[in-house]
Amino acid sequence: MSISDATTFTSDEMASRADMIISDGVDKWYGDFQALKGVTATIKEREVVVVLGPSGSGKSTWIRCINRLEQHQGGRIAVDGVELTNDTRNIEKIRREVGMVFQGFNLFPHITVLDNITLAPIWVRKKPRGEAEQLGRDLLERVGIPEQADKFPGQLSGGQQQRVAIARALAMEPRIMLFDEPTSALDPEMIKEVLDVMKELARSGMTMMVVTHEMGFAREVADRIIFMESGEIVEVGPPEHFFTNPTEDRTKLFLSQIL
Amino acid sequence: MPDTAETTLASAAAQRPPFYRDATVVKWLVQVATLILVLFAMFFLASQAGDNLTAKGIKTGFDFLDVDPGIQLNGGIDDDPATGGRALWVGMVNTIRLSIGGIIAATILGIFVGVARLSNNWMVNKIASGFIEYMRNIPLLVHIIVFFAVLGGLNKFTADVGPINGWLHISNKGVSTPRAFISDGFYQWAVFLLIGAIAGRFVMKKRKAKQDATGAETYPLGSFFGVVAIFAIVGWFLHPIFGWVGSIFQTIADVIDVIPQSAVRVALSLIAIAAAVWWIRRFLDSRRTPAGLAKLTDDDWFRMIFAGVGALLAAVFFFIVWPGFSSWLLNSSRDLFEVAANKFGDGRDGLPLGINRPDIAQRGNFANPGPAGLNLDTGVAALFFAIVMYTAAFIAEIVRGGILAVPKGQTEAAQAIGLRRSTMLRRIILPQAFRVSLPPLGNQYLNLTKNTSLAIAVAYTDLVQVGQTILNQSGKSLEVFAIWMLFYLACSLTISAVVNFFNVRLAIVER
Amino acid sequence: MSMSQLDAETTTILAKLDADKALRPDEPSLPVGEWMGKNLFGMGQGSPWAVVRSTLLTVLFGLLALFSYRGFLNFVFSEERRWDAVRTNLRLLFTQAYPDENYTRVWVTVAIVAALAGLSLGLMKVGRGLSMKRIATWCFAWGGLIVVGILLREASALTNADGSIQLDVDKQPIREGFIDKLGERGTWWVLGLVLLVIGSVIWFTLGDLRRRTTFVPAIPFGLVTLGLFISSVWWFNWGNYTFTDDGFTFDPGNKVAGSTQMPWTLIFVVLLVAYLIGQFLLRSERAGTFRGVVNGLWLLAPFVTFWVVLRGPVIDWSHVLSTHLPMALGFIVLGGALLWFLTQPGIGEKGRIIAVALILFALFNWLAAFMGWYPMLQKARLSFLFLGLAAAIAPNFIGDAKQRLKLIYGWVGFMTIFHILVTIINTPSSVEVPTEDFAGGFMITVYVAVFTMIFSFPLGVVLALARTSRLPLFRMLSTVYIEVIRGVPLITLLFFFSVFVNLFLPEGMELSGLAAVTVAFVLFSAAYLAENVRGGLQAIRRGQYEASDALGLTTVQRTMFIVLPQGLRVSIPPLVGQVIATFKETSLLAIVGVFDFLRIARDVIPAQTEFLGVKQENLLFISAVYFIVSYSMSKYSQRLEKQLGVGER
Repeated sequence: MSISDATTFTSDEMASRADMIISDGVDKWYGDFQALKGVTATIKEREVVVVLGPSGSGKSTWIRCINRLEQHQGGRIAVDGVELTNDTRNIEKIRREVGMVFQGFNLFPHITVLDNITLAPIWVRKKPRGEAEQLGRDLLERVGIPEQADKFPGQLSGGQQQRVAIARALAMEPRIMLFDEPTSALDPEMIKEVLDVMKELARSGMTMMVVTHEMGFAREVADRIIFMESGEIVEVGPPEHFFTNPTEDRTKLFLSQIL
Repeated sequence: MPDTAETTLASAAAQRPPFYRDATVVKWLVQVATLILVLFAMFFLASQAGDNLTAKGIKTGFDFLDVDPGIQLNGGIDDDPATGGRALWVGMVNTIRLSIGGIIAATILGIFVGVARLSNNWMVNKIASGFIEYMRNIPLLVHIIVFFAVLGGLNKFTADVGPINGWLHISNKGVSTPRAFISDGFYQWAVFLLIGAIAGRFVMKKRKAKQDATGAETYPLGSFFGVVAIFAIVGWFLHPIFGWVGSIFQTIADVIDVIPQSAVRVALSLIAIAAAVWWIRRFLDSRRTPAGLAKLTDDDWFRMIFAGVGALLAAVFFFIVWPGFSSWLLNSSRDLFEVAANKFGDGRDGLPLGINRPDIAQRGNFANPGPAGLNLDTGVAALFFAIVMYTAAFIAEIVRGGILAVPKGQTEAAQAIGLRRSTMLRRIILPQAFRVSLPPLGNQYLNLTKNTSLAIAVAYTDLVQVGQTILNQSGKSLEVFAIWMLFYLACSLTISAVVNFFNVRLAIVER
Repeated sequence: MSMSQLDAETTTILAKLDADKALRPDEPSLPVGEWMGKNLFGMGQGSPWAVVRSTLLTVLFGLLALFSYRGFLNFVFSEERRWDAVRTNLRLLFTQAYPDENYTRVWVTVAIVAALAGLSLGLMKVGRGLSMKRIATWCFAWGGLIVVGILLREASALTNADGSIQLDVDKQPIREGFIDKLGERGTWWVLGLVLLVIGSVIWFTLGDLRRRTTFVPAIPFGLVTLGLFISSVWWFNWGNYTFTDDGFTFDPGNKVAGSTQMPWTLIFVVLLVAYLIGQFLLRSERAGTFRGVVNGLWLLAPFVTFWVVLRGPVIDWSHVLSTHLPMALGFIVLGGALLWFLTQPGIGEKGRIIAVALILFALFNWLAAFMGWYPMLQKARLSFLFLGLAAAIAPNFIGDAKQRLKLIYGWVGFMTIFHILVTIINTPSSVEVPTEDFAGGFMITVYVAVFTMIFSFPLGVVLALARTSRLPLFRMLSTVYIEVIRGVPLITLLFFFSVFVNLFLPEGMELSGLAAVTVAFVLFSAAYLAENVRGGLQAIRRGQYEASDALGLTTVQRTMFIVLPQGLRVSIPPLVGQVIATFKETSLLAIVGVFDFLRIARDVIPAQTEFLGVKQENLLFISAVYFIVSYSMSKYSQRLEKQLGVGER
């Protein structure tokens, strides 16, 4: 297992790209429960990585460590050449570069959809309001719901809310997007509209790290799949290899349960 | 290729950021700075107060507690307290009496009004909501003064003022009722009750087990009260046989008498430190993992430091700040046991309880309620009824909220499994409603207790009023204020502890 | 003591239920017989036992209601009552010894409040209004109450030629017969019957459906009713009662004095005009901005009316020009320039260091003040502190000129108002009163309550934020403060502050009695407020914090834009409850020796030679005033709740 196996699958072209996320032996404890056990992986620029694994395997914890929603306790994390330490300046920098989409959308319910999107550009990126609003409307156009700009999040369907959340994250013009089970809280008929937006995003060359249970998406879009269990990376590989010919027994077991 | 990660990270240069950018350092700096600021402000204010007091020639100290305050108190366990401490104690007892009585009465009235507020009957519903709105929207103090004015306008007190002469007198001198009092044989009888309770509990468990096993109705709770009642009745006649219990207490008191004071000091300090050590060890154990000690968070460190510092402070307190505490502890516990021994005495064979009807004391031309009955003079009566009704209005709303908070589905489910309406209320609705209502009820009890301090408006001798009198006489304002604060904090802690106890017992265990 | 509040959770549950109810359209009316059967006699529950029980309850409680009502009427209208004591002392009750020659100031204050109220009402988003059914029901209820009251109340006592009451052998008044009693109460008959007729006309001319679906806008309806009432001073003989130098005059058969008629009429006109202006502004596109401006004026109004209008400051212009004005300009210009510098893009850490240094300097100023190292006007110390705080939030305004100017405008506006107000507060008053405080009676009750709310709100929010903070020391400090304050009765705090707050202050600093007591109210109220706000903050889901962090918002931005707006919205019902509680708690002022509303009713009026010992009347009157104020506030809070929409996203 481990990274050396993984990287052998990537093409030389991929190897020549810059490292966007480096996770080196990351440990994380909750009380006496170790959620991450030395997780090591590197994600390249413009790469789409899907993280799979049974629930409780630590995949969400890992992705949340990458923009410091959780603090890792051992090992090192670097994002776009900036190491994630206690330095507040680095944390700020990384959070600007990394957009995140949550399972529960987490839109701000008390302000309109457009305000949700423009809040961070105005106050964090210091964009003039007019410019930020134009950007917001463009992004809503891109995720396919320009007509909802002046509604409140509560008036939207789940799928629409998640698309707004994606637009909100994109408004910060991030270099990396993290998706933490973006479709798990959605009704089946709405999953597709969100996945379509994500596919479009992947095609546009965004670096993406996606925790999901959508195997179809993983197979279609992912450059690489990372399989985790009990806080460890078990297997890494391109989707065609991962789904048809997994090397590890635990991967096989997992696949047999879900497919 | 693992080297890629290594090399890039190495080039990212993991040096420590300057302190003002280190998230952890900044976090703690801000906190410690605030703490220092607060402590400094407090220290400054205290020293300023000290300077001002010396400049004015006012001495501080609690010596007034042992000096004759030279005040008369009406109403309470002692009309003419010998010391300031005793006077304050009288006030405390009055506050406690008023609070406990008020809590019981307000709860009953509040539940009654709350249920009435939910009635289908328009008339009942409107009257209940009128009561609630009237009580809630007028300040309690105004209520008290209005009640006081109204009660003051009642009939003059005479021997036949009624409504039930010789039993219940309601007049401009207040309300007089019969007084039940603890008589000679009470403590021996209490031993009987205690034994009865233990026996009753045993029987109850037995019968409960039988009911669970066979399904037959065995009335476990009923049998408990039955057993206690039997013991009470037998004890009523036989209680003198427990006269010897007093000697046990006397022995304990004698033993306490020989313990040296320094031993207590050492023991107390050791207990404090041992408790801290035990707590920290347990805490560390809980953080220990199969792979060794987990990383401790700031919070964890803070707690441990807090425990350690607390223990040290306690030890310093026992040794240096107040060595008298140990001897006080010794003396008072010895006194306590001696009092207990005296209560039993030898050969006390009077009845356990007695009852006195209210009498009339003629002072010159004026009739007054005599000392035999239980007299609630107009001031207290106004205070008591106003506080009870005021609190009851809030309790009623809490009860209503609690009952309405039980989801409709619960009623439907209960009906679906064929429960009768009364069973449904008793087993499904009320327990859930009670759980929702309990924390706010606790708050209301707390409010009620604090509201008794309005006694000062009707010149009733509660703690605040007595304190105010002493403060005016001795000028010991800071000290009196400290006593007020400690007493009311103790009250609120007690009430929260009781409420929490029930809260924990009633809590639904979720997942 | 919290005379008062239900805790946040109960309030929320009840408010939600009431809001749900208010959103439903009125239910179809049942025929009278059916309605009574269902609501009074337990029909339709399918059990004879229910009918018996319900009927019994109705009879029992009906009798209780009738007897209480009769007792109340007999008390109020009894010959023994001396309502003159209230009528003559209305000015005393509301404004204590405020001098007659300056009374215009009081009217101006009321007019300012009326103008603001009119604007707010005009700018309000209105709901569906009052249904005709409700209006008819009210008419029936009040008309019925009046008619029943006429029948219930005992007959008046017969009087002798000199106006004294005829007594029988037992010294009880001799009363006229039942029929005479019915004939005597002409005005009441007219009022009751008019109401009943209006009710019937509405009820029977409109069908059930139209009754329920025809709505009258509530605010104009209320204004018309108020106008009718106020106009009655011109055509109804309310009686003229005044204190003069030689005792009091009373003239029951006349209209009220001109000094009451004119001001109230003018005030009503102001209210009406302000309402119309508000309605006009509502149509413009910037209604939201106007609403904000009016709210700002509301915040300013207590300060302006109390210190400027009521107090009539004597301003020493030469001193103002030589000292205050330069200082204010200095802070405005130099502070503005500094903030402009601090908001330039790329200032980076330098900005934060300057802000921290400024705050430290401001704190050092206080230290110096306490130690007596160097003198400085209190105003300057406060200004430095504000400058430090403004510098601390400056990084949020880094950006283009427009963004930066926002902060500068805010600073200039705030400093201007602050310096003007503080200068005025520090000038002597031109209104001469015999008592220590120029305000008293209901006036002081209201002002103490309002200032308490204004100052305890920010303190309470800060405490709540600290208590829910992730930083343990903040949590601990805040918890200790809140629990200690909540653990002791308010009255002890009031004693403490009224007696020796000055003991704790260094030489040269002093608080007047009223100010000290207000500080006690603020500190007390803040602890309760903090708990209410905490309830709201805890209702915010963790995801909201995570989303803000992930977007890179700073802690201050997260708190201002995400946490507080959501948390405060949830806490609105308990917060209004807290306002009511504070208003009621101000009655404790009477115990610590302030001449507030209650104290005047309880102690001052009964001590007048004309009304020696008259107490119950005054107390009943102030109870009614307290009731009306708190009841309308609690009704308003229910409305607000509905408007905000509980659980609206």
